[in-house]
Amino acid sequence: MGVITRAVRNISRRKTRTLLVVVALAFSMAIMVSIPAGITANQLAMQQTTENYGKLTADMQQTINETMKLITCEYPYVDPAIFPGATSYYFSETDLNYIASITGVKDIVPVLQYDNIEMQSVSTEGGRQMMQGGLVYRIKGVDLNASLLINYLPGNITEGRNLQKGESSAVVIGKELKEYFHAGLGDTVNIKGKSFTVVGIHELTGMDPRNIYMSLTDAQEILNLTGKVNTVDVYAEDSSLVGDITTTIKAAYPYLVVTGYQQRLQQLNQMQGISDRTLKNAQSALNQTQMTAMQEIILAIIATSLIVLFTMFYAVRERTKEIGILKAIGFSNWNVMSQFILEGVFISILAGLAGIAIGTVATPVLSSLLLPHISSYAESGVLPIGGGTIPIVDQGSITATPDLQVAMFMFGVVVLLGAIGSLYPAWRASRTRPVEALKYE
Amino acid sequence: MSEIILKTEKLSKTYEMGKRKIPALHELNLQVVKGEFIAIMGSSGSGKTTLLNMLGCLDKPTSGKIILDQTDVASLHEKKLCEIRRNKIGFVFQTFNLLPYLSALENVELIMECSKKPKAERKIKARELLQMVGLSGREDHRPNRLSAGEQQRVAIARALANDPAIVLADEPTGNLDTENKYEIVRLLGRLNINQGTTIVMVTHDSHMASHTERILLLNDGKITKERQGLHQVKKKLMCPYCGSKIQPSDVRCPSCRKRL
Repeated sequence: MGVITRAVRNISRRKTRTLLVVVALAFSMAIMVSIPAGITANQLAMQQTTENYGKLTADMQQTINETMKLITCEYPYVDPAIFPGATSYYFSETDLNYIASITGVKDIVPVLQYDNIEMQSVSTEGGRQMMQGGLVYRIKGVDLNASLLINYLPGNITEGRNLQKGESSAVVIGKELKEYFHAGLGDTVNIKGKSFTVVGIHELTGMDPRNIYMSLTDAQEILNLTGKVNTVDVYAEDSSLVGDITTTIKAAYPYLVVTGYQQRLQQLNQMQGISDRTLKNAQSALNQTQMTAMQEIILAIIATSLIVLFTMFYAVRERTKEIGILKAIGFSNWNVMSQFILEGVFISILAGLAGIAIGTVATPVLSSLLLPHISSYAESGVLPIGGGTIPIVDQGSITATPDLQVAMFMFGVVVLLGAIGSLYPAWRASRTRPVEALKYE
Repeated sequence: MSEIILKTEKLSKTYEMGKRKIPALHELNLQVVKGEFIAIMGSSGSGKTTLLNMLGCLDKPTSGKIILDQTDVASLHEKKLCEIRRNKIGFVFQTFNLLPYLSALENVELIMECSKKPKAERKIKARELLQMVGLSGREDHRPNRLSAGEQQRVAIARALANDPAIVLADEPTGNLDTENKYEIVRLLGRLNINQGTTIVMVTHDSHMASHTERILLLNDGKITKERQGLHQVKKKLMCPYCGSKIQPSDVRCPSCRKRL
């Protein structure tokens, strides 16, 4: 029967007190375990958000690079079925030759663009029914022999392949249209009375997910617009010439809608501004989170130390007589002290184990309660380009799980606190004069 | 000449209550011979507990010497005192003072743990001691399952665990009923005769005191009277009145029929 048995007996003898201390310490321990887990989750969220923004910015940069030298000239297509009497304008062979011959123009990609709009009944807020035109698909008939064709065709083919030079009766459709046509890769679809084979599926976003790419001749055939194009993508030799070329084309064709890269750049800059601000805010949120976490851990440690200290003080007071007996029969100061320290350590070990158990179960809740989320600092909304939402990753989507190493470390901290917290009361206990202690009832 | 195991020289203790000084012991001289069983009697406040605390190294005197087994313990440091208490003194308290969470055996074993005795040896010795005080078969009982008399017997066994030079008993019968009082005093007497244990017992009960060898009467911090007790007789196995042989269990002298 050694000092260990005595310490264990004393702990088990005072069940309620032990339980209260263990629960209090365990809760502190759980906080100490869950906060680092929360930080890790936040960091992960931040990392993923940064990665998302990085990818988005890179995409935008690529778009800018690709479109720096691009001038889009288009006559909007007006469907005579929907707007009777409206005139649609087209480029003639002469027009195309003229544009291609403008100084600084490297090449042109003639396109026949057609929007298939269907009238749909929509109920308004007032409860009235209203007919509204909805874009079902947009045909883009592309001159498959153009030298800069690759710049025009969609970049992100997810299934199959892109259109090839001189190909006919083949289409690349948007992913969203698979459902509309009830067709997938390799299937045959009927568009405006002609059969096409789906050779590729693209995943464009923003305004373009419903694009159907086919050869110019096929488009002209199904739309009964032989020899006609309504859109021309003009590629300049150099981005510095884009302004001059735009002016020249505008002067020659007043009804033409001409879009240069400046307009796009403006939109992209705006977009980049939002993402920069969001990242900055998220980063500062993360920093603040870590500050808060540090404060919370320090508070938990202080609370734990105080709990141990008070409990041990109380235990010492309560057992003054016992200390007197032990000293009267010949216990040394160290004999008395070791028993109290050991009791403190044992209670802490119990609390540590309970803390790990509570921490494992409650970490997601605790970390979410105790730490601010990155998302609350980010700007929300829809991106001006691409139409997508800001790809911020919330902490909530990443479950905070306690790290074994952190748990072991915190366990060590709690046990150490137990030892240190009981050191002073134990020292005081050992200094008690036996004759005084024996009088205590 | 018999060996003097405990001696005090001009032992004084004065308590200070604020500015007031209360003398508890005044230049007290005392000698205890090895193997003696003595009682210190006195009314409440006569200083008997103070004296016992001094002798037991639980408190320090204001002045004077306490020589225990040839060491002046009055001037020793706490660490040394601790060793003295452990190895030279066995304490028996009025309120038994057993640890409630330990069994009888563990209570007896407790102090041997500090003197680094091997575990097996401790257990054997504790069992022997409990057997000696008549508690065989009750080793595993905790104090709350023992009667008051039994608890005091465990406390006596504990006091003997480290083979002390002297056993100091502070009102050991104070909390017991009449039957148990005699039991305990008889037990102490037996230990004194059979083991040769030196015992100093403080009591205010003259009946109990009369069963010792020598009775010292303490009054206002001084020993004012000293007389022989019945134990002397039992020890020498000789009638003090007629000088004929007697047995330790005899209540009256078999020859002269005088009460012993």
